[in-house]
Amino acid sequence: MEYKAPVEAYSGVVREEAIGTGSKAIKIGGENILSLHLFDEGSLPNPPKFALEILDMEPVDWAEHLVEPVKDVISDPVKWAKKCEEFGADAVSIYLLSTDPAGKDRSADEAAPVVKKVAESLNIPVLVYGCGDDKKDAVVLPKVAEMCDGMNLLIGPVLKENYEVVGKAILDHGHKAWAESPLDINLLKELNVKLCHFLPPERIVIDPESAALGYGFEYSFSLMERVKQLAVITKDSMTQMPMIANLGKEIWKTKQAKESKKQGLLFETMTALGLLLAGANILVLRHPESINLVKETVGGNLWQK
Amino acid sequence: MIVIGENIHIIAKVVSDAIKARDAKVIQDLAKVQAEGGADYIDLNLGFCRKDPSIMGWAVNAVQEVVDLPLSIDTMNPVAMEEGLKACKKRPLLNSASGKTDSKQEMLPLAKKYDCDVVISVINDRGMPAEGDSKLDSIMDTVAYANDLGIPNERIWADPIALPASTAGEGQKNALATYEFVEMLPQALPDIKSAVGLSNISNGAPPELRPLLNHVYLIMLARKGLYSSIHDALDRDIMDISKGRKQNLVDLVYRAWDKEEMDFSSLSQEEINYVKTAKVLSGEVLYSDAWLEG
Repeated sequence: MEYKAPVEAYSGVVREEAIGTGSKAIKIGGENILSLHLFDEGSLPNPPKFALEILDMEPVDWAEHLVEPVKDVISDPVKWAKKCEEFGADAVSIYLLSTDPAGKDRSADEAAPVVKKVAESLNIPVLVYGCGDDKKDAVVLPKVAEMCDGMNLLIGPVLKENYEVVGKAILDHGHKAWAESPLDINLLKELNVKLCHFLPPERIVIDPESAALGYGFEYSFSLMERVKQLAVITKDSMTQMPMIANLGKEIWKTKQAKESKKQGLLFETMTALGLLLAGANILVLRHPESINLVKETVGGNLWQK
Repeated sequence: MIVIGENIHIIAKVVSDAIKARDAKVIQDLAKVQAEGGADYIDLNLGFCRKDPSIMGWAVNAVQEVVDLPLSIDTMNPVAMEEGLKACKKRPLLNSASGKTDSKQEMLPLAKKYDCDVVISVINDRGMPAEGDSKLDSIMDTVAYANDLGIPNERIWADPIALPASTAGEGQKNALATYEFVEMLPQALPDIKSAVGLSNISNGAPPELRPLLNHVYLIMLARKGLYSSIHDALDRDIMDISKGRKQNLVDLVYRAWDKEEMDFSSLSQEEINYVKTAKVLSGEVLYSDAWLEG
């Protein structure tokens, strides 16, 4: 008897969202299948995208093999971002570490122009990630949103502690919200519900937090998988946003990644691959070689233009 | 439905203060208002009673002076449990035993010795079974053990264990398993009654919204045939629901659970809240603290 593989068809669709404007824009989401279930009925209009991460200051504790590809430009965020574009990144994620009150504590007025300059100099879109201190970000991110008015950046982390003020600035200045919650599906949904009181759902991207392989990766995996299932199968409107996996910063602080280039690349690639399988729509990595390693591992012609 | 009033609980500051000071009046007043509220049993949860297990006997005597209801003796400490059971005038409820080895060895013999009713939970040495079937398998094992000790099925109340709906999806999944358990119990184990510690469903939820989760969960369990519930006997709405009143809300929860399309514009805010909560507790909608806002 001939075997006929079962084919699933789902009715839920992940919202398709653009980041950036005009020819710089990329699209994420839009699928009505589970991650890479290309054998099922449905489509994946926008294969997962890859952003490379830069800092708005010279990194102090990065491993030599992580600095190496960008060592000539690492003290200049604009040149560094440009280099990421040359490496083939779909977007650049700028991490505003210099604004961290526990570090350099740079002001919003110092940090925002850097973002603007980077965004203007590139032909790919920019994602902006604050220092993670909810109070400082509530000052810095609105300033960034304002200075980059209309550029449709993805700005975050929008947290339950500061979503009102950061979300409002994102709404007023034409950006997207990078909504982050601490590895918990109920909190993730709650944040989206609250943001949607004033921000349209198609302007939210979900960040469920991405832990590195060996450092809680399986929590991130099952959470992302669940979010995607709820979006596509259960059609829970508050989980039907595309997801971002911000994993580079988690990978490269591990002892294993710092020890050797090979280990670091494997850690970053395998974590990215896992989260991609779980349903991530855009992944933020640090090492340019990791992007190609992930693409080669997935294989097929998913990313062929 | 049989209501076991949970309001004498060591976690409440008035209760722990009263126990420390041996102030019978506070405990007695709490027992009286629960009886007036319609409770069928008064639960006495005094914690582990590490310092003085005899406190349970004292509390039993205090409550019996003012209330004519049977008591539910609620402690993990077998010595305190025996102190309580020994003092009861009416057949008490031992609350609770489980399938864990120490509970089988220390609690179940007390149920036999005092010929009392006993709540047995599905927890066993391997933990908390997550599915309806595995919960039933676990209780069947423990019931067989209890039967061997000479405890007949008529004395046993089985508790599938409610978990907070807010626990990252697990609580909602567990709620579905409890409905299944309550529904299948009569066929699997005739004469065994069901009991649920209801309020755990709303643990961790915003305090002002906890009653709503409790109410709707009770309606849903009752639909499956729940025999008894341990809950707040001072919450008038939940007492109404337990005693078959509030039929309009009950019907509404059933309709939401059956996925009937409903026109919210024809419903009051209270009714909408019941419908939205039913959708969460039936697993249709993912829980979040903002479930009423979505």
